[in-house]
Amino acid sequence: MIRSLRYLLSGFAVLSLLLSCKGGDEGTLVLRSDDDLRGLTVACTNGNYYEHKYSAREDVTVFAANSEADALQAVRQGIADVFVSDEIMLSDADMQRLGVRKALRGEESFEVAFALRKGEAVLMRQLNDFIASAPIDGIVAHWIEGAPAVPDAIPAVSPDAAPLRCITCLNMEPVCYFGDGGQWKGMDVEILQRFAASVGRSLEITFQDLGAAVIALQAGQADLVFGCLFATDERRQSVDFSDPYFRCHPAYFVLDKGAASKVSLKERLRINFATENRWKLVADGLLETVKITFFSILLGTLLGAGICAAKRSRRRWLRGLAGLYDDFINGIPTLVLLLIMFYVVFAGSGLSGSLVAIVTFALCFASSAGSIFDTSISSVPRGQTEAGLSLGFTPLKTFAGIVFPQAMKKGLPLYAGECVSLLKNTSIVGYIAVQDLTRASDLIRSRTFDALIPLIVVTVLYFVLAWLILRLLTLFLRKK
Amino acid sequence: MISIRHLSKTFQDPDGSTVTVLKDVNADIEKGEVISIIGPSGTGKSTLLRALNMLEPPTGGEIWFNGENIMAKGYPLDRMRRKMGMVFQGFNLFEHKTVLENVIYAPMELLHFSEAQAKEEAMELLKKVGMVQKADVYPSSLSGGQKQRVAIARSLAMHPEVILFDEPTSALDPTMVGEVLSVIRQLAKDGLTMLIVTHEMRFARDVSTRIFFMNEGIIYEDGTPQQIFGNPVHSATKAFVNRIQKLVYEIDSDEFDYLQIHTGIIRFCIKYNLSDKAEPAYALVKEMLFTHMREYRPMTLRLTHAELSGETALDFMVEGLTSSPLPAGALEGLRAKTRGVVEEPTARGFRVKLLL
Repeated sequence: MIRSLRYLLSGFAVLSLLLSCKGGDEGTLVLRSDDDLRGLTVACTNGNYYEHKYSAREDVTVFAANSEADALQAVRQGIADVFVSDEIMLSDADMQRLGVRKALRGEESFEVAFALRKGEAVLMRQLNDFIASAPIDGIVAHWIEGAPAVPDAIPAVSPDAAPLRCITCLNMEPVCYFGDGGQWKGMDVEILQRFAASVGRSLEITFQDLGAAVIALQAGQADLVFGCLFATDERRQSVDFSDPYFRCHPAYFVLDKGAASKVSLKERLRINFATENRWKLVADGLLETVKITFFSILLGTLLGAGICAAKRSRRRWLRGLAGLYDDFINGIPTLVLLLIMFYVVFAGSGLSGSLVAIVTFALCFASSAGSIFDTSISSVPRGQTEAGLSLGFTPLKTFAGIVFPQAMKKGLPLYAGECVSLLKNTSIVGYIAVQDLTRASDLIRSRTFDALIPLIVVTVLYFVLAWLILRLLTLFLRKK
Repeated sequence: MISIRHLSKTFQDPDGSTVTVLKDVNADIEKGEVISIIGPSGTGKSTLLRALNMLEPPTGGEIWFNGENIMAKGYPLDRMRRKMGMVFQGFNLFEHKTVLENVIYAPMELLHFSEAQAKEEAMELLKKVGMVQKADVYPSSLSGGQKQRVAIARSLAMHPEVILFDEPTSALDPTMVGEVLSVIRQLAKDGLTMLIVTHEMRFARDVSTRIFFMNEGIIYEDGTPQQIFGNPVHSATKAFVNRIQKLVYEIDSDEFDYLQIHTGIIRFCIKYNLSDKAEPAYALVKEMLFTHMREYRPMTLRLTHAELSGETALDFMVEGLTSSPLPAGALEGLRAKTRGVVEEPTARGFRVKLLL
């Protein structure tokens, strides 16, 4: 009871911390050229062209966020002054709703293209032929200027066809976004759909940040990376670009104090969860998180028992091996291990991201579970074993009936803590494009630009899950 | 029932060095015998007991139990141990089970008693050791003496043919030793075969049918309590059963540190509750060293105290001497100050013994 109460209290503490965030209160900024950025903080997406450009300028501070939505949020929270992005990112309605204003449209313009793995000559030729012949202008006009859709329907493709595996680094209207019914939509998506159909392949799209997407491309886990990508010379060193299909101008967005309209909580909840059935994303993410956590604990516990047996073995080499395993797991951050497993060890194995995540977390969990089991068993005095043996129990029965129940009582609180820790660790699976609970909030945030509501909901859900794990394990112990 | 032949046990330390605790132990134990194993610390008493039920597998020799060699490969040790109970110094009750559960666990699991039958017997045994009231409590709330009585009941519940007691009272407060010993005494009266490693001399003398005196890894002397306590063959046995304590100084020249001897004597006397003898003893030492035996250097000074008989004595020994070093007039004076003076030749010299 007291434990649950304490849990609730700490929950409130986190919520109030989130709610206390407020925007800055300076007047609306005026920009005449990007020289006026002097002394300001510029927010942009990590790894994109603007970050590169403004990092080189000593009089400008760069805030590199993980996504466009986070960068914009930085401006809305007063962390940064200007959000630099592609002009097409925010429609007038978006700006109105989000309380920002386009302060300046950049003079320069950039070629937008698709990125392929270096040396993929066949796919490159197919793609360039398609861009040269397809009604690209019509598609662009439809999505950007609201012109009617291109009349000819997209030909159907057999679902068995080899998929064209694409990664987008952008989840934003109108270029590429996760729309109603869990379908990817937008200008880039339509172009790719038509291209895939023209070469008789189905289309498969996942969402990752640019850095991870390029690694996946190079590792052969994806065929194409897109999402309003600028074909810059620097990028050409690591990937090949198709012919450009669009030219894009940069735009500088600032907080519009005068226009900032207060959106009601109900409206915010509607936009974040009801529109386009976005609650389904949260539900699916929750299921994914529970699935990964549960199976990792299951597999990790079995492995941990094996490691514990090895640690307690009479054979020196087995003990050494278990120690080596611990050192290995302890020495690598979980995220790095996850990336290595996905992009190196299981690259090209066809294993899904969820499975790789389960294996990785199980490997990590096994190390700590093994140590917990080992210390718990060691904490049962040797005399208990001797008493069991001296009564005539076999060594196995002595362990199962006398040592193990006592060890479990001592080890369970630690074990439960480790399970909760694993649950929280699963929030990094977004890095290998698994859509868990955290990733669901990322997707919603990047669509709605509302940082607060999705984060609060996800926080609450993690709290409930952690509480459930502790509760279930405690109940299990009581029953014993 | 049990035959031990040339039993040895050598422990190997992780650094490779070895310690031989049991050298060559031989004994035959018959049904109904109550054997106390006594001896100085570190002479392998507990190791012998733990070797008998193979908790500490011996490194050499043979153990025969009911005509079977239990050290043979593949011998079913768990079945043998059901007939050979053990009571430990540290009680080793199952901490996660109540007193009653501790007693019924093994009979139900191993002898396949029904729960009702096991409980009925267990309550009978708990009554015997005076622990019926505590049947439903957990061991953590019991005193040491109570724990040990439950442990005895737990062992009895398997209907063993013999019980090994490994220092059953060594971990107890002095106030609790009595309650445990009286339970064991009762078992001895009932005719249970028992081997008891103990430091309680009086108990060993009263309860045993036979005593093993262990020293230096072997059974040094084996006999009835009357023999071992009344008329032991070996001097080591005698010293042990009388619990003779010693304080020894080698005096090489006149420059010896007599202040050190003074504090040594006082400490020794306080330790063995002889405070009133401290100053007289020191006065005698001074008299002997500076007056009567001033020319005899080197010599050995020894203060001894037998705890069991209460005899305290000062020995002055000179090597290579064949007759008494005492001057003619000294004897009278010394006799007046002591309970007696003994002058005797020893294997290597001559000794003057003053009884205090």
